[in-house]
Amino acid sequence: MCLNHDNIQQNPSHFEGSPQELALATNVQENFMDYIKDLKFFDPHIHMTSRTTDDYQALADAGVVAIIEPAFWLGQPRTGLATFKDYYSSLIGWERFRSSQFGIKHYCTIGLNSREANNEALAEQVMEILPLYLYKEGVVGVGEIGFDDQTAAEEKYYRLQLELAKEAGLPVQIHTPHRDKKKGTERSMAIALEHGIDPGMVIIDHNNEETVKSVLDQGFWAAFTIYPFTKMGNERMVEIVKQYGSKQIMINSAADWGISDPLAVPKTAALMKIKGISSEDIHMVTYKNAIDAFAQSGQIKVEDFENPQEIDQSQTFNGNTILRGGQQPRIDKNAIVIR
Amino acid sequence: MSAKPLICEIIKQNATEKEILWLNDKVKSDSKTILTAFVATPRFIRKTIIETSDNSLAEPVPGWSVKGWSLDRLVRIYLLLHLSSEDKTSYFKNIETLFETGEINELVSLYSALSVLDFTEDWVFRATEAVRSNIGFVFDAIAFGNPYPARYFSNPAWNQLVLKCIFNDKPVHLILGLEERANLKLAETLSDFAHERWAAGRKVPAQVWRLVSKFVNETILKDLIHLFESNDKYDRMAAALVCSETNFEPAHSLLNKFPELKQGVQNKVFSWTELEIL
Repeated sequence: MCLNHDNIQQNPSHFEGSPQELALATNVQENFMDYIKDLKFFDPHIHMTSRTTDDYQALADAGVVAIIEPAFWLGQPRTGLATFKDYYSSLIGWERFRSSQFGIKHYCTIGLNSREANNEALAEQVMEILPLYLYKEGVVGVGEIGFDDQTAAEEKYYRLQLELAKEAGLPVQIHTPHRDKKKGTERSMAIALEHGIDPGMVIIDHNNEETVKSVLDQGFWAAFTIYPFTKMGNERMVEIVKQYGSKQIMINSAADWGISDPLAVPKTAALMKIKGISSEDIHMVTYKNAIDAFAQSGQIKVEDFENPQEIDQSQTFNGNTILRGGQQPRIDKNAIVIR
Repeated sequence: MSAKPLICEIIKQNATEKEILWLNDKVKSDSKTILTAFVATPRFIRKTIIETSDNSLAEPVPGWSVKGWSLDRLVRIYLLLHLSSEDKTSYFKNIETLFETGEINELVSLYSALSVLDFTEDWVFRATEAVRSNIGFVFDAIAFGNPYPARYFSNPAWNQLVLKCIFNDKPVHLILGLEERANLKLAETLSDFAHERWAAGRKVPAQVWRLVSKFVNETILKDLIHLFESNDKYDRMAAALVCSETNFEPAHSLLNKFPELKQGVQNKVFSWTELEIL
């Protein structure tokens, strides 16, 4: 994608940051892998639909064993129900398979995102088909939902989807707005509580220094998106873990079609290690907390990605493991010759 | 006997009391409940591997075997068998909705079920969609151990299935009806395909040559010569097996030039089974 910086400013995919971060983020740690050997990671927010197969390879190489892909908007508004349906189906079909070829367990959350909630005629139709997807295997929550502009329509569909989540017993993954973030975050939490949803079932996403305290105090999970140039930097993230510890906190990359980094979770783990955060805390914020939060869906079996040798028998034919859909062959990225 | 009571029996042998209660409750319900139950099956039914020595399913559906399946896969099929087909339009609408919104394991169940669905011959287009799928598990569900393609596919659709299987280096011997549906067009296309692979310095799995035995001609004879000259012993074995099976006389003379291989075939030292590599 050829986005220049102005475009990003006008059209941020998640949330904005300062020019200082832009400067800091250009200073990429070299050999971050040396710090995280043998660690496993769980990225609970990444939009693989928008990423290449090379990124799957890179994730697998960096120790990412499982991911959650929330349903979101695609950079431009959809014009019909069928494209929503196909998108949801791709999250539980093609993308799940693509991921499995690299040994990465792919989960997703399904929901009507806040921007597209504003097209009420279409939103009504989308609400009709959401239950078809929420009870699927590997759907670990309703998400990402919440506020963007904080319009009445957004509130309406946010509330309706909270009810769907309650009925299905699923966690909720909440996108907090770019603009007027602090108020938007408070409002999202207040509405969830008003609907009688246990804050322990709610993951508030895209937090920053300004929002985190209230989120934790009220018992919600606080997720942080490490996203270059315009969003949370991982040095700031280290400071947050120093200040608040690792309880209820998780980090993600939210890598998407913008200039983002699918390796944000392992890179931040490396930076935490360098800066003296304990291994236990790193484990919590880059792996375990996300699992604990989303496993409340009943749809996550850690054996699926903790014991990769163990074959999922349902995917075999007469016990022949070779037929697991086929693992992708490795290629040498630096080779000039392509065979 | 139809498949339904036989499937019920296998489920009973493998499910817990609680699972059976859930299932019995669902199958008595309206279509909407059955469709929802189909989706939600893994929440109530384990993925335990089915143990059965019972081959009785082979009577209503020749070739069909549930051996090695997970229990949820079979339970989903059993649920489908309880959808009313009185009104063909709504029956198709219900099942097509499951296909269109299906997650991978659901699709595997659906494609495995084609031979026992009502209006069986009308699911051909849907079945060919699985052949077009690049999701390995979905392709495997229609291609392997599934009696549907051999019985209902046209020759072009059948050939596409077999070729895609070969192209993706998947084991063709797991396709049911491979011998019966062998045809000249497929043999010729296979020969062309092998030439492309060889030009690229790549290989063709040796066992696929079993598909040309009945259709050896001058062109394919050249392929057999190429195989006899291969460094790979499986290629040479395949060439010998084809020469021994074909009625094309020049192939017999060719085999005489390789007495050791000829003896191997005649004494049954090797057969296609040895070349069935997964």
